Amino acid sequence: MNRISDAVSEIYKLDMEAGKKGWLQEIHPLSKLLVTILFILLTVSFGKYDLSGLLKMGIYLIAAFVLGDISIKMLLKRMKLLLALVCLAGIGNPLFDRETLFVLGSLNVTGGMVSAATLIIKGAYSVSASYLLMITTPMEDLCRALRKLCVPKTIVTILMLAYRYIIVLLKEAERMTDAYMLRAPGQKGISYKAWGTLAGQLLLRSMDRAQVVYDSMKLRGYGGEFPQGCRKTAGMGDYAYGIGWSAALLAVRLL
Amino acid sequence: MKSEENVGEQEMNLLEIKDLSFGYGREKVLKDINICMRKGESVGLIGANGVGKSTLLRLLTGLLDIQEGGIWINGLEMKKENMAGIRAEIGYVFQDSDSQLFMTTVYEDVAFAPRNYGKSEEETERLSMGALRQVCLEEKKDCQIYRLSGGEKKLASIATVLAMEAKVMLLDEPSVALDPRNRRNLIRILNELPGAKLIASHDLDFIYDTCQRVILLSEGRIAADHETEKILRDQRLLEAHGLELPLSFSRA
Amino acid sequence: MHMADALVSPAAAGTMYAMSAAAAAYAVKKVRPDDLDRKVPMMGVMGAFVFAAQMINFTIPGTGSSGHLCGGMLLSAVLGTHAGFLTMIAVLAIQCLLFADGGLLALGCNIWNMAFYGCFVGGALIWRAMTGKKMTRGRITAASVIGCVLSLQLGAFSVTVQTLVSGITELPFSVFLGMMQPIHLAIGLVEGMITAAVLVFVYEARPEVLHGYGCETKAGGRMSRKRTAAVLASLALVIGGALSLFASAKPDGLEWSMEKTAGTAELSAEGMIYQLSEKVQGITAVLPDYSFRSSESAAGTSFSGIAGGLIVLGVCLAVCLLIKRVKHAGQKNGKVVNEQN
Repeated sequence: MNRISDAVSEIYKLDMEAGKKGWLQEIHPLSKLLVTILFILLTVSFGKYDLSGLLKMGIYLIAAFVLGDISIKMLLKRMKLLLALVCLAGIGNPLFDRETLFVLGSLNVTGGMVSAATLIIKGAYSVSASYLLMITTPMEDLCRALRKLCVPKTIVTILMLAYRYIIVLLKEAERMTDAYMLRAPGQKGISYKAWGTLAGQLLLRSMDRAQVVYDSMKLRGYGGEFPQGCRKTAGMGDYAYGIGWSAALLAVRLL
Repeated sequence: MKSEENVGEQEMNLLEIKDLSFGYGREKVLKDINICMRKGESVGLIGANGVGKSTLLRLLTGLLDIQEGGIWINGLEMKKENMAGIRAEIGYVFQDSDSQLFMTTVYEDVAFAPRNYGKSEEETERLSMGALRQVCLEEKKDCQIYRLSGGEKKLASIATVLAMEAKVMLLDEPSVALDPRNRRNLIRILNELPGAKLIASHDLDFIYDTCQRVILLSEGRIAADHETEKILRDQRLLEAHGLELPLSFSRA
Repeated sequence: MHMADALVSPAAAGTMYAMSAAAAAYAVKKVRPDDLDRKVPMMGVMGAFVFAAQMINFTIPGTGSSGHLCGGMLLSAVLGTHAGFLTMIAVLAIQCLLFADGGLLALGCNIWNMAFYGCFVGGALIWRAMTGKKMTRGRITAASVIGCVLSLQLGAFSVTVQTLVSGITELPFSVFLGMMQPIHLAIGLVEGMITAAVLVFVYEARPEVLHGYGCETKAGGRMSRKRTAAVLASLALVIGGALSLFASAKPDGLEWSMEKTAGTAELSAEGMIYQLSEKVQGITAVLPDYSFRSSESAAGTSFSGIAGGLIVLGVCLAVCLLIKRVKHAGQKNGKVVNEQN
């Protein structure tokens, strides 16, 4: 099944990029996470006609992508998904909002056109920003950052375990659907007759696996607490990155 | 069919099983098991499917509760109140490495046990890197687990146990799904490890290459407990208990 | 129905984050600590399961399309409401982080729209009420379908409200709602059927893994009916409260379409309209003159304003590329020097 193998290779690629050595990858994850959240927050806070201010926010992305040597190939794929959704919401804008804001040559630029454009740019910016975070930060570092932000440790632990087993279970799901497809030529998906058995089998196998995982944890001294090793401490550079970008982005937004 | 060891020298024995019986429901899976293991000994546990090898290993880890008889590890009796101490002495290498390795990266996984046992971060790093060095996986320390090959996963599982500094290592079918090269590598690494090992496997060639002593289980009982050479060359004994000569002998 | 960041205003996102966080805190408290250490690995692996299972294409008979199972409902049937909710949070976070399925800022909305309704309405209300007394194939199927449909309807309604409150789309409320609800009725039915098929299979193969199996009692049933009423009432209060809150913040009621986003409160709605009308009046005015005036204001939407923005981006790009080139050249020189040494 293509969707499954696509997902697997997507995670592989993302993870490989995140593990590369580079200055952006070296920045403390908490600092990157906070800048990302601030960036998205400020981006979506722009008024729907404030195209010029919104455009300037792009300096963050340009600087990070160019200076951080980030590949944008995977980003484009993510954009497609998003743009479909955003365009759906914004498609009505040019129709409903026909007041002219300014004239460009012979074209009356209406409020709806501008607001649809800001909507699409907001979407593109926020997806790029979270992509930037993910492609420079391994999941376990991100989890530590979340922990620092007081996200309950239960949720962070589940997040880590789920991330660990996604690939394992995706591959298992792929094997099962492959085995199904090989014996059901000409079908596009799983027929309703096998809905329960196929996914149910996967569910029971996953539960068995969870039991072994729990055993393995118990045998290595687990008693309800997941140890959080702190391998990176924030240095001057990390603070500078966080404070510098926050100031710059706030300046762009407010001035 | 009692073990040849002298039961009186308890403190000499790292692991001791006395009159152990166990059943699921009414059916007894293990009957009157008596085993002793010394420091640094490598013992193979063989037997056909369903003779209770896995049950025995799970009893030794405390994952199953003892019904009859007793188990002593490093002089500690296996009881609820001793469990924390006993777990620290025992390392269990699961058959399915993917279930054993539940953290995201190799290092994080190997460091899980030392951190849990309250070791400082420097001590954790020393133990973890030492363990990874022993299985030649130092370079993969920051690698995501799902990127490891089957052989590397098995070695990483062994490293997680080594980092605990466990006195006894239990291995459940360690050679399953390994290609010849990884298998040979695993044999070499296991033979270099100084600690005591109990290896449950169907792979008699593997047992031959790694163990000095073999315990043959059959229908829940110990059918034989001798040097490897003696049991694995005894075609009649093996066949009587649903096994066959190791391939390397039968071909010769 | 994953919301993207662009579709929510900071205020709406913040409100939903707060509501989801409150629900999460409640759920964390509700999962018993002695139960938790055993459940955590199960929750993690089941989260991965939902993720993997949602990737499987289930063909819908009679149509060419495919559906997938409903995570919230399934997880609460297997893990219980609170553990299921926490697991769904992890699933949604991973979908957002790894696959950009829903935005980081909109995660609070997504947790509410999918995990909260799926687990607390589909799981706690419907599943418990219908299977609490007696668990049979029929009851499991009915509970799954009703639970999925109901939680998806509530989710779709929330999406509509969140988007409109955020002032993103110009579509009138009724049009948007009329689009969202029927689509999600169909999706809910399909997801319900798939979820039911899985749960019935599990019930037949290994019933003990289903949450609440073996402890169905009459007392439990009665209790759950009381609880049902309580939860329904509080749900109504929350939705009503949230709606009235937004409504009171917006004097024009459902006339959201011309409103500014709540986050840019410094620009009042009247000011915006005023500016707009001014611009309409000035359509015939000469371009440079007009844009000069409006570029001073924060909402300076004008050709020169936008051009200015583009120029800033261009300059930024050029500078970055230059820095990169210089750096690369430096590295190359360094290498050459090294080799010579």
